[in-house]
Amino acid sequence: MQSTIPPTETGREALRLFKENRGPLAMLLALILFPFFVALLDGQGPTAVLNNEIGNARFLQGLLIEIFILAIYALSYDLILGITGLLSFGHAMFFAVGAYLTGIAFKSFGWGVGPTLAAVIVAGIVQALLFGLVLPRVKGITFALVTLGFASVFEIIVKSNEMVAYTGADVGLQGVVVPAAWLNTSNERFRLYLIVLFFTFFVYLVYRRFVDSPTGRVCIATRENEGRAQMLGYNTFYFKLTALILSSITAAMAGFFHTVHQPIVSPAVAGLGWTVAALLMILMGGIGTLSGALVGAAIFRLLQFYLERWFGGNATFLIGLVYVLLVMFVPYGVVGTWQARRLDIQRGRERLLRLLHLRP
Amino acid sequence: MMAERLKKNRTRLIVLGILAVLFVSASQGMSTEDWVITVMRGLAVGAITFLVAAGFSLILGLMDVLNLAHGEMFMLGAYIGWTVYVRPDTFVDALTPLLLLAAGLMLMPVLGVWLGQRPLPGKVNQIWPWLGLAAALALLIYALRQWPLAMWNPGVFAESPATFSLAMSQGTMQLPAAAVATGLSPWLLLMLLGLGSTLLAAALVGMRLRGQTAVSAPYLSKSPLILAGGLALAGVFIFALNDGLTAWLYRLNHTALFALAIVVATAVGGLLGGLIESTLIRPLYKRPIYQIMLTLGISFITIELVRAIWGRPEFTMPKPEMFAGTGAGCGREVVSIVERLANQCATIFLFNGRIRTYNEIFIILMGLIVLVGVWLLLQRTRLGMIIRAGVQDSQMVEALGINVRRVFTLVFSLGVALAALGGVLAAPSIGLSNGMGGQFLLLALIALAIGGLTSYPGAAAGAVLVGLLQQFIIKYGQLGINLPFLAEPFKPSPPLVPASTVLFMVIILLLLPNGLFGRDE
Repeated sequence: MQSTIPPTETGREALRLFKENRGPLAMLLALILFPFFVALLDGQGPTAVLNNEIGNARFLQGLLIEIFILAIYALSYDLILGITGLLSFGHAMFFAVGAYLTGIAFKSFGWGVGPTLAAVIVAGIVQALLFGLVLPRVKGITFALVTLGFASVFEIIVKSNEMVAYTGADVGLQGVVVPAAWLNTSNERFRLYLIVLFFTFFVYLVYRRFVDSPTGRVCIATRENEGRAQMLGYNTFYFKLTALILSSITAAMAGFFHTVHQPIVSPAVAGLGWTVAALLMILMGGIGTLSGALVGAAIFRLLQFYLERWFGGNATFLIGLVYVLLVMFVPYGVVGTWQARRLDIQRGRERLLRLLHLRP
Repeated sequence: MMAERLKKNRTRLIVLGILAVLFVSASQGMSTEDWVITVMRGLAVGAITFLVAAGFSLILGLMDVLNLAHGEMFMLGAYIGWTVYVRPDTFVDALTPLLLLAAGLMLMPVLGVWLGQRPLPGKVNQIWPWLGLAAALALLIYALRQWPLAMWNPGVFAESPATFSLAMSQGTMQLPAAAVATGLSPWLLLMLLGLGSTLLAAALVGMRLRGQTAVSAPYLSKSPLILAGGLALAGVFIFALNDGLTAWLYRLNHTALFALAIVVATAVGGLLGGLIESTLIRPLYKRPIYQIMLTLGISFITIELVRAIWGRPEFTMPKPEMFAGTGAGCGREVVSIVERLANQCATIFLFNGRIRTYNEIFIILMGLIVLVGVWLLLQRTRLGMIIRAGVQDSQMVEALGINVRRVFTLVFSLGVALAALGGVLAAPSIGLSNGMGGQFLLLALIALAIGGLTSYPGAAAGAVLVGLLQQFIIKYGQLGINLPFLAEPFKPSPPLVPASTVLFMVIILLLLPNGLFGRDE
């Protein structure tokens, strides 16, 4: 049947796809051009970005890479919590396994990038299956506690003195050397920037596609009312497991990039605090919206970075205050609230334009 | 009938049986005195965990709120108790502004009626609460900054909380010089504080009225007015009698002062809980997942406030005299428990094991008192009946015409009060640190998961189990376990202690997804 579609139809289809994804594509283009723009503002030529010269452009690329990694991680949490409705307190383990595995493979085993990536993906599948083992047995908050248990055990193994040769125990994994020169964050930052950016974009598109697919629809149905989804004949277990596996692989990949970008893995990424970070990111952005996870990751990292830079020791207090204020005044996260109030905002803009006599 | 119940609870009974066998075999390898000490310590940890877990489980059960700030409320209780106990002068100084603030907030219902009857034109109605709030906060901050408050200074070692604790435990505590007001006269500041609190209450009421379209004229009750007046008067009196009251508190013996610290910390916890529920959590019942973010924010803020006021370093809280005697009559030769208690010894001997009277006996006793007290409240009073019904189905209770929202506030306040009580009780035994909240919240979560999340007996049983397990593992870390295939005794390293409790929780949850005492959902 596929072959009978005339080529013009394919063209129209491509145009439709393009139109639908105009926002993300514009964002992607803007982010590709962003370092050049900063370099121009700084008085450096555009070649400064390509030549990896020290400056604001290079520094902001580093910050953005961190945000992209957080965004991938937050997306993976949004898939299981926001879309599928599984509250897991062990999500940090998904990320930390990727990060530690990459570090250990590079440092202790001397593996190349390819085998390491393969190992990370396999590890992602395995840990999702581990969570899947308890999935049919426990539900709701009990599932959250069991996953917290798994993650705590992993954290304790990572921190224990028996594993110090591999994990560095409390100090964390230090001095990881990325074996591939083309992936080196200090020499080839713009390349890494593009790679992580495109990977983030790719994950976002895959997730959007997943949510729109029949499987994703069943996942949403499971979130809304699991009993009813089962009544309709869906074995919700398999759908939840699919979401878990996809999410786990993504989070492990985020961990992989984390180690590549920052050759230090702190045991903090295995703790409950890191799961809470993911939770906060998607709550700030808007739970279950996917694009909210990206926005939330940006807010999270920028808040942390700039508040610490400007206020030093008082930063944590202010961050706490921002959370409370966000909950009170941006009730469904940035993207969620925007979606809910889009009409109001549009009307407000029209009124503003009329007040300024820009529109009759 | 009996057989059917047995069959229904088969897994539960088998698990309990295995636990009993494990417990007995774990105690086999120890001498009696070690065993007694370990069990008592486990029960003490269990008692404190129970105080945190009980409130957490009531709040979770009734309102489905996962209060992640509960551990920080526990910590706050400890720090407030320390202040009343070690620095009563600071406490007396701070009491007046707090009472005036409370008096202002008490006026909220009256102001609500009064303002509700005088609707303002649309725009003004929208804007004035914000202006009022800003003005009230500015006024309060201005007045509070100038308020004479004799306080420690965490930045300077000689004036740090640790130094005052040390001085108190050595009996060399001097009455610090009273703070002198700089700038405005304190009586003027008092009036400013009163004005600021009233304005704050009015602004908060205005915020609430903003959303309402219809003007309601509810029944105006006089009691808030009387209460607010009483509080304000008490604040003024305490201010007038400040020096005398401080001197009296300093002359008081430490046991009485400690009792006061317990009462104040619990009361502050209760008030704070009520305030948090009624202002911050109430709008969030419709979007449960955001409660997590809110309570996390509160917990960050609380930790940072505690760090700013009391400093980052850990410090201890001296034990009251009744549990601190070491001199005459407390030597090794005095064996009789009654005699040692009469001599106010710090330790007693139970089966030759040295048990500390405060850390083990007193804490366990208080835990038992709270256990029975809250159980009586839940089982024997009307309020308890409503709470139990609400835990099962709060919508149904509401449909029966009971004001569940008010019960929500009460239960939240009760839960936080219990946590604060746990904090002040734990402080002399484990010391005060910024991390104590998170540590005990995790322990309480594990205890609740084991016992059954919303079950009151489950919270108690889970807390005791977790406490015992933790202490036994610590003890075996010192002694070493003789495992069959190892030549040397296996000594679990310190990080394995939390791992063991967590693993225990995972195993129990996989066997019994609703915990030992939880109901089937």
